[in-house]
Amino acid sequence: MKIEKVKITNFKCYEGTFTLALNDGLNVIVGANESGKTTILEAIHLALTGLLHGRPLKNDLTSYLFNLVAQNKYVHSLGTASPLPPPAITIELFFSGSSNELAELEGDGNSERAKRSGVVYKIEFDEENYKGPYEELVKAGELTSIPVEYYTTTMRSFARKGVTARNIPIKSALIDSSSTRLQNGSDVYVSRIIRDVLEEKERASISQAHRKLKEAFVANPNLKLINERITQAAKISQKAVSISVDLSSQTAWENSLMTYIDLIPFQYIGKGEQCVIKTKLALSAKKNAEATAVLLEEPENHLSHTRLNELIADLTEKHGQKQIIISTHSSFVANKLGLDHLIVLRSGEVARISELEASDFFKKLAGYDTLRLALAAKAILVEGDSDELVVQRAYMDANEGRLPIQDGIDVISVGTAFLRFLELADALKIPVAVVTDNDGDTTVVEKKYAAFKDSSTVRICFDPVVDTGPLMVKDKPYNYNTLEPKLLKANDRATLNAILGTSATTDDELRIHMRANKTESALAIFNSKTAVTYPDYIQKAIAP
Amino acid sequence: MIGENKIVIAAAGSGKTTYLVEEAVKIKGERVLITTYTESNEAEIRQKFFELVGHVPANVVIMTWFSFLITHGVKPFQGSLFEFPVSGMVLVSAQSGLKFKTRQGQPVFWAENEIDKHYFDPVRRVYSDKLPKLAIRCNEKSGGAVMDRISRIFPHVLVDEVQDLAGYDLDILAALARSSVRLLMVGDPRQVTYLTHHERRYQKYADGGIVDFLRNELPKKVPVDIDETTLNRSHRNSAVICTVSSRLFPVLPASQACDCVRCRTGSAAWNGAFILRTADYAHYLATVRPMQLRDKITSLGVDQRWPAMNFGESKGRGFDHVVILPTEPMRLWLSDHATNLKPQSRAKFYVALTRGRHSVAIAMDWGTSPLPTGFSLYERAS
Repeated sequence: MKIEKVKITNFKCYEGTFTLALNDGLNVIVGANESGKTTILEAIHLALTGLLHGRPLKNDLTSYLFNLVAQNKYVHSLGTASPLPPPAITIELFFSGSSNELAELEGDGNSERAKRSGVVYKIEFDEENYKGPYEELVKAGELTSIPVEYYTTTMRSFARKGVTARNIPIKSALIDSSSTRLQNGSDVYVSRIIRDVLEEKERASISQAHRKLKEAFVANPNLKLINERITQAAKISQKAVSISVDLSSQTAWENSLMTYIDLIPFQYIGKGEQCVIKTKLALSAKKNAEATAVLLEEPENHLSHTRLNELIADLTEKHGQKQIIISTHSSFVANKLGLDHLIVLRSGEVARISELEASDFFKKLAGYDTLRLALAAKAILVEGDSDELVVQRAYMDANEGRLPIQDGIDVISVGTAFLRFLELADALKIPVAVVTDNDGDTTVVEKKYAAFKDSSTVRICFDPVVDTGPLMVKDKPYNYNTLEPKLLKANDRATLNAILGTSATTDDELRIHMRANKTESALAIFNSKTAVTYPDYIQKAIAP
Repeated sequence: MIGENKIVIAAAGSGKTTYLVEEAVKIKGERVLITTYTESNEAEIRQKFFELVGHVPANVVIMTWFSFLITHGVKPFQGSLFEFPVSGMVLVSAQSGLKFKTRQGQPVFWAENEIDKHYFDPVRRVYSDKLPKLAIRCNEKSGGAVMDRISRIFPHVLVDEVQDLAGYDLDILAALARSSVRLLMVGDPRQVTYLTHHERRYQKYADGGIVDFLRNELPKKVPVDIDETTLNRSHRNSAVICTVSSRLFPVLPASQACDCVRCRTGSAAWNGAFILRTADYAHYLATVRPMQLRDKITSLGVDQRWPAMNFGESKGRGFDHVVILPTEPMRLWLSDHATNLKPQSRAKFYVALTRGRHSVAIAMDWGTSPLPTGFSLYERAS
């Protein structure tokens, strides 16, 4: 039993319907802040349990749960001739597996009308109860947000039957960095995880023992004496005043029992350790009729490097048959868990490294650069270090000395792998500029990047002018079309001599010096106190 | 693979519900559905579980036939027929989905392709008479997904009071019989007191024809074991009551009174089958204390000081002594068994007669002709 697909509609950052297919084993969701990673975990947990931040969402509905664009569209439509119906949040989980436990959840009550097993969590207008009041509200014309007071939440199987977390054979163990406490201070999620690890029989015997404990407390003779004294002391009325344990509450043992780690209450141990223990507990659940989906939010947050390594080892080696969904913005985590499992998320676009044509390349690559690209707001791809330095400086000159990264623009040297990075950028619709040499033949360059000619997100920048000259280096003709000679062309020998601290007497001498000292030259330009003029194609790359 | 199919024909008071519950308890680890037509019988099945094992096992689901049809028959795969949510079911007692009446007063009904009007009332409750048909259509449209799903959820389906099912209900039974489900049906063709459907479908099997239906309408490769002996003994009725009640259905094997010690101990001082003069009615009530059984709440002759029950309502119940206030057709049949007694009246009469453990009295002034066989005239002890 696995979650095969998640569909999220109008929930938080997801406008319209967002669909994410999941692997059976490990899923690593990578994305920048605000890219919707956590929302995916929250949505899955919500649909499996009805809980958001450890509390039943049905009691905590707010209009902030709704996608802002959807809300605005709705509110603006109200005054017009064609008002929209009140928007609904829908989270659908499609399950895979042939187990009989899933048959009960099977039906075509899903957005695809397909014969599938799964659940739908909905936050929708309660038409049955609030049709009248809603009409009045709309007539009054004062609606500026979604009227959530008239909303209700439902959890249904694809067989269109109301379900609770109990009826869903896939249990979710959410391990997040927030601490959600029960009334007695114990952590909600650790209690849930422990309960889900236990077999029905074991759960029954705990609740039995818990009940006996309560009864023993009430039956204690000392307590009786004390209660008599209180009654006398109180004298507020004819009625008896007494203390007792809460016998009335229906809340189960997990709400009043606490989890201890080496005799220390769970919530007092370090955050990192909490995360590791919860994960280990969740991974240890072994049940036939139930499956566990482990939802792990940014495990890098509270863990030292070694603990993180340990946790990752557990996740990769011991997950067994469990489905694990991890959100992270740590390139270390993503890299360690294997790029095969990587799901890159970016403002509603999804790319899987394993589905890219260049997937082999990215799997062999250390992964850091892959993630840099995926996480950047914008990127400028350059060939090598020297190009990187010059482009950075050019950007600073044009933007009051701010480094490109300060504006979310990452300048990445990719060597000769431009096309592979572009495939990823294109899949995620990341705005990218490519700074490349024209290699003495613009038609070749144009042909190479033909696919991106009309792209709205990819900008290919190279010098359209092919320079030639008689200079030979080691019996080979000098390449007049790399960054250095283009810089010389844009400035002049005197300027560059001053910046580089050289005293070249001819342009060729300077060309040869710069060719032999690429990085030093670039560094000198980067640190130059005087202004540098940049070739047009560099200017084009850094233009907003 | 076709699952095992079996129908057990049960005599009144033979312990049908006990048998069914015992069969269900035997099944370990696999899910069991027990379904029956009426809510009162559903409650009784649940009650029986508590009596016999103290709880309803986790693998057993008890639901009425209607909620089974809505939950598992219609809702899971309604998508191929209609989108809107079903808000429930509405019980109807005549053909539903009336479009209009002609000037001559002829009713015209919505056609089947007008799904929302043919099957549903204006607030989207499905008409009770169309519910099984809708489930069958959902199954057809989804390529058998409905039955496939049910057979994976419930490897065992136990149907109590199967004689109450009619029309498209029988198609559902047939589909279950063809599936991998093990289908166990229990019922008494003599006790068809609920006329469930007004559909013309399978009209010929409407009145206790369930066995004939299973024999005639299932393909040869779908075997159904017909068991007429297991539940042929009445633990409730005395031998005399078995004999007089069996006369209502001469073509069926007569039920036998169980003569085991447990059933026959504590047999009352007062037993037999009697004709009770109306003049003796009040006296009889005061001395024998029988349960009064009537056709309907408006039936005449009931003594309001003592408890009374409608025939239909009394189904499944047992009393030491009963007194029956017969309808006119029942009186006529008593004097001459050849007179035509409508199937439903016949069933109700059978139900009424078989409620008594020790004695049955029929309140009517007999006249001078010989008493029906097995009956004697109640004489007030002087």
